[in-house]
Amino acid sequence: MLRFLLHRGGQALVAAFGVVTLVFFIQRLTGDPTALLLPETATREDIEAMRASLGLDRALWVQYLDFLRDIARFDLGRSFVQNAPVWTILSSRIPYTLQLAAGALAVAVLIGLPLGLAMALTRGRAVSRWMMGLVLACQSMPTFWSGIMMILVFGVWLRWLPSSGTGTPAHLVMPSIALGLLSLATFARITRSAVVDELGRDYVRSARARGVGTGRLVRKHLLRNSLIPVISITALEISQLLAGAVIVETVFAWPGLGLLTVQSIAARDFLVVQAVVLLGAFVTIGANLAADILYSVVDPRVRLSARP
Amino acid sequence: MTHSIRGLLAGVALAVLALPAYARDITVDLSGEPSSLDPQVQWNPDSYYVYRNVFDNIVTRDNAGEIVPEIATDWEQTSDTTLALTIREGVTFHDGSPLTPEDVVYSVKRIIDPAFASPQLGQFNQITDASAEGNVVTLTTDGPYPALLAQLVKLSVVPQAVVEEMGAEAFNAAPVGSGPYVFEEWNRGVSVTLTRNEDYWGEAGPFETAVFRAVPDAATRVADLLAGTADLVVGIDADAAAQLAGNDAVQVLSAPTERVGYMGMNLDKPPFNDLEMRRAASLSIDRQGIVDGLLMAGEVPLAQMASPAHFGYAEGIEPFEYDPDAARAITEANPELAATPVTLATAPVFDQRIVQAVQQMLDDAGFSVEISMTDMPTYLADAQAEDRAERPALSFGRWSCACQDADGIAYPLLHSSSNWSRVADPEIDALLDEARVSLDEQVRLDAYAEVAQLVRENYYLLPMYQAAVLYGAASDITFEPTANESLFLNRMSVAE
Repeated sequence: MLRFLLHRGGQALVAAFGVVTLVFFIQRLTGDPTALLLPETATREDIEAMRASLGLDRALWVQYLDFLRDIARFDLGRSFVQNAPVWTILSSRIPYTLQLAAGALAVAVLIGLPLGLAMALTRGRAVSRWMMGLVLACQSMPTFWSGIMMILVFGVWLRWLPSSGTGTPAHLVMPSIALGLLSLATFARITRSAVVDELGRDYVRSARARGVGTGRLVRKHLLRNSLIPVISITALEISQLLAGAVIVETVFAWPGLGLLTVQSIAARDFLVVQAVVLLGAFVTIGANLAADILYSVVDPRVRLSARP
Repeated sequence: MTHSIRGLLAGVALAVLALPAYARDITVDLSGEPSSLDPQVQWNPDSYYVYRNVFDNIVTRDNAGEIVPEIATDWEQTSDTTLALTIREGVTFHDGSPLTPEDVVYSVKRIIDPAFASPQLGQFNQITDASAEGNVVTLTTDGPYPALLAQLVKLSVVPQAVVEEMGAEAFNAAPVGSGPYVFEEWNRGVSVTLTRNEDYWGEAGPFETAVFRAVPDAATRVADLLAGTADLVVGIDADAAAQLAGNDAVQVLSAPTERVGYMGMNLDKPPFNDLEMRRAASLSIDRQGIVDGLLMAGEVPLAQMASPAHFGYAEGIEPFEYDPDAARAITEANPELAATPVTLATAPVFDQRIVQAVQQMLDDAGFSVEISMTDMPTYLADAQAEDRAERPALSFGRWSCACQDADGIAYPLLHSSSNWSRVADPEIDALLDEARVSLDEQVRLDAYAEVAQLVRENYYLLPMYQAAVLYGAASDITFEPTANESLFLNRMSVAE
């Protein structure tokens, strides 16, 4: 087990280093941000002075080593647009993103799993096709459209829910649904196919032959065995949720990391953009690592096959 | 019994309905949150919409655009390079301390200190010194500087003692000013809350509290306004305005701004080194069509690089003609020049509807235009290339100096010494230099009129329109938008 952990942990570290390097060089590929930070009337001398004060006039490899050292010390720098440490800005937004991600995941799991199960158990019947249509709709609606539609219907027309912003639990409802819809569809489809797979197996047939009812069959036998693909999907979905949050948070003015990304890009605040990208990458790497470890707990065969 | 209950309910309903008018608050949806609340750091709209209510400036512009007293009650040009400002007495900061001439001196020196590295430095770095004597503050400039007052409209006065005690970062997080609204709370990423300054020396605001929220999506801002959760929204386009138009609970407000939309050309290279080809380009652009059919927010076609909101706007400049047939005749007479590939350099921040429309119009007239979309840093690097001849062959821009003075647009775009200019005409250079340092208003007006005429005759730039800005507001709010795009809460009012 220790060997497996070290192996997977090492892989995660290499991936993290790759991301850090990539982020640094891609930022530099898009040109020099100095001119963006100054008003149009700035002279060439003003631009040079700003560049020197940001340390952008140094050799690229010096900047890169500096960047690596700062990252190793968890020093993300100071935003020169917002005039505050990047970490302060980031940490003020993280709780919002966690709330939204939790809400969306809840929508996806609490609706998606039962829906998938129901589709599997009723497969071949008309009701299953109806449910499949619903799942397809959830998956096909672009978030920026479904979000605005929800705002217009529930916020402006019916006035059941606040149209945007934060403050009360009611504010979280629409963004969670908007963000959760796509994942809901994924969970429903994966659960359906996993359960359908299991339904054809011998142990299900023998259980049925022993007279085990559907409820007991699902609870005692099917769910646990269908869970492995669902766990791996959860890890993937967490990174999906982070990406989707960029749009959902923008539409609902939800002040999480996604909105911060958009605002920082618009304000040309490249240190913040860099930090959000790094954070997103680390979360994705971490979630995948956690999923790997979790499989090995659920299914020891995974652990053994990792041996070189 | 039933009656009394009904009466009671009606009473409660009346009280509830009456409450908002009695203690009306305002929620303003901006597109982003302020970058800074320290008025001497960032000066983007989302920041100054908020901090201009917390701070007073040295002078201000009234709704008609005239420069009027604020912290300075009077001013006098005491020599070519010194301006004496009489400082208003009896003004207090929100912490109760008096606003002194020393605070004004400190504010000026803070923003012109290169070590402070304010992005606004370029607007004030012609000031070399400030000193106080009695209630008079004297500003010294490095030469005669006629646009100084226009710049002081944007110089906010900060309390020296508070800033020095708190430090820049804490001051930015909890600013203390002398304006009509007091900073209450900044909920990062969400909103900034201000409350009315009951001791304000000038006209008090009509709202007890004001909340400025960051709502990035324009459709959501419009929905917030329609749902009644926002009272004033900025940054909407003509489509959203049309959506609001049929609703009695809301209104659309619009004002022309000081931003000028224009096409710039590279005059060193074919085809636009040729006057006739530039004329053809101008003839092929349907300015009225762009204003009426694409922008639709109340923009005004222009034939010079200044708007009526600018000092130095020249009367009597002949409007540009739109005559695609005449343009075609010119390109057909110069087939080689017309076939020269032209790159229209642009970046995502520019209105791509206009970029594409202009490309189409020029191509229809026989030019061979290709759009080159790059990221902003690359675009800026090209636009400010060291060698003027390497700057873009064609580009669309919207220029504002936030000073409402012709110098702020003409100098950077037309003077041969500027990073941006693709024009090198000694006559224009001489006129702009003269207007930049003359303290005689008539001399300046004459010089800018001559520059406008030269640009018009030589098609050095193709001015297109004066940009407009749209706001959506609850119908009980009276608000007169201004050319400098400020939201002064104390100039608004609420219908009872």
